[in-house]
Amino acid sequence: MPWYYPRMPEELSRSVRQELAHRNSVKRIVIFVMLGVVAVLFFVSLMVGSSNMSLPESFMALFGQGEASSVRIVQQIRLPRALAALIAGAGLSVAGLVMQSTLKNPMASPSTLGVSNAAVFGANIAIIGFAGGFINTGGRIDNYDFGTNPFATSSMAFLFALVSTLIVLGLCRIRSFSSETVVLAGIALGTVWTALTTILQFYATDVGLSAAVIWTFGDLGRATFTTDWIMFGVVAASVIVFFFLQWRFNAVAADESVANSLGVKVNLLRFVSMLLASLITAVCVSYLGIIGFIGIICPHAMRRIVGNNHRFLIPASLVSGALLLLFSDIVSRLIGNGTALPVGAITSLLGGPFFLYLIFAKKGGKA
Amino acid sequence: MIQVKNLSTRYARNAPEVLHDVSFGLGEGEIGILLGPNGSGKSTLIQCLLGQMKRAEGEILIGGKPVMEMRTSDRARLLAYVPQTPSFAPSTVYDAVMLGRLPYFAFAPTKEDQDIVETVLVEMSLEHLATRNVLELSGGERQRVAIARALAQQSRILLFDEPTSNLDISAETTIAEMVKALAKKKGLTVLLSMHDINLALGIGDRFLFLKDGHLVSDGDAESVNEKTIESVFGIHAKRVYVEDKTLFIYGGNGDES
Repeated sequence: MPWYYPRMPEELSRSVRQELAHRNSVKRIVIFVMLGVVAVLFFVSLMVGSSNMSLPESFMALFGQGEASSVRIVQQIRLPRALAALIAGAGLSVAGLVMQSTLKNPMASPSTLGVSNAAVFGANIAIIGFAGGFINTGGRIDNYDFGTNPFATSSMAFLFALVSTLIVLGLCRIRSFSSETVVLAGIALGTVWTALTTILQFYATDVGLSAAVIWTFGDLGRATFTTDWIMFGVVAASVIVFFFLQWRFNAVAADESVANSLGVKVNLLRFVSMLLASLITAVCVSYLGIIGFIGIICPHAMRRIVGNNHRFLIPASLVSGALLLLFSDIVSRLIGNGTALPVGAITSLLGGPFFLYLIFAKKGGKA
Repeated sequence: MIQVKNLSTRYARNAPEVLHDVSFGLGEGEIGILLGPNGSGKSTLIQCLLGQMKRAEGEILIGGKPVMEMRTSDRARLLAYVPQTPSFAPSTVYDAVMLGRLPYFAFAPTKEDQDIVETVLVEMSLEHLATRNVLELSGGERQRVAIARALAQQSRILLFDEPTSNLDISAETTIAEMVKALAKKKGLTVLLSMHDINLALGIGDRFLFLKDGHLVSDGDAESVNEKTIESVFGIHAKRVYVEDKTLFIYGGNGDES
């Protein structure tokens, strides 16, 4: 076979492979160190809260030892909350990553497609429209049951997030599936959902309005084991698909026309990735409210640390997302002085300056 | 190897045709050069061969099989493509070339893929740049990486879309000579679009002139003459011979002769 000559000299081949293996080990170490930090933060998260439990007490309670109230607080309140931070952080981060990679747009994130805005509108309908708003309740707070029922609200949020995603993807199929089309359609639809939310809130009673506004604050305290399992199922299934597509993401990130010639069905890849990323976002937002910027901060930070090969970028984004949301949640509980501040506000506070950093940072990237 | 019969295409349903009834063939080991002014349809023709033009009418056969009916991965094993300005994500040269193996591996590259990438790196004299970031290379080196990526596909047909247009004279000549040497050594069929007729004459076997989407001339080096150049490009050309090489010099409108 003519393809097997001239072979690379064995010594050079060995040195190239060793150099690449060394770099890959460094990347693996970075990911494992972050994983260790996540494990520590996970246990810290179980120890932090408004009750005056000591650290040993919290630790014992995790394993069912100690006072019944402590066991209940740790196992039924703090544990699902910490698990939600792990799952949603990892999910939102990897959703942002695949959106940026397949759209070749560094600012793409779950909010770019208007998914979050649609979820807010859906939740607002449940809270304001069905329960306490202008439709049938006369503004009585005891009629808010349906609207404040987390599953009714979440279901509506999820439904609208999904509808929004399908509209954007459907519109893009009619014309072309260029990255610009997807982003512009997402932004346009996002403004429509925001406008509809504003109109709905304008007609809401004071109580309905405050209930709706409070829902939009990202809050991990709403998590239960049931919601954690649902989020885990969606995130895990999507991540498995993303892992199988890692080299295809690399090809599209390099050059779309070349990716096509390499046998990558770019439009199909974009459709599947957008659908799964939106699904992850829809599930997380509907159960936890808006948690912004995770999908922007983590993938960009990881590109600078582990480079652009999705073989490392996907696990690094997953772990860093979990790390950031766990950390933000702990901060929100510590500075909240007994009451947890909305974790979405903490992640956004971190995200704003990071956006500025991205704008002013040098171009280029790590190999 | 490549058979194009009565190919016509347009970008949108009601848009004007960009290629009209184009027919030609290229045999195994032949280097075909597509020549023509900007907008004459050279890049569109290459996109048709890659199966990327949905509105292509007529017939394109690659190795006797219709290109539009092939599975994308099968097509990728038959045809490799080097764009005018190859763009890369930040990655090592090694990983950038490894992308060429994508039609062959499902999840992760195998040892055989690594061997082939290393062979191609040597072939393109890139072995000492293997661990460098591809974005830190010069334009000529990047173009060599793009060709190495295409070679890693191990396809029998290489399509180049103006691969030398953004390079300096030295890199341009190096790339052109590399392409010719590769094609002859491995018996590859190459279709290459370019603007420099003199450079093309040094490497091509067949010369296809496109004007406004029409194939106006198709033949060997002898078919390239003043009349064809003048009718296709609208400029006066004069053939001269320098050290047994045919060259064309351009300028004026021909009245002075």
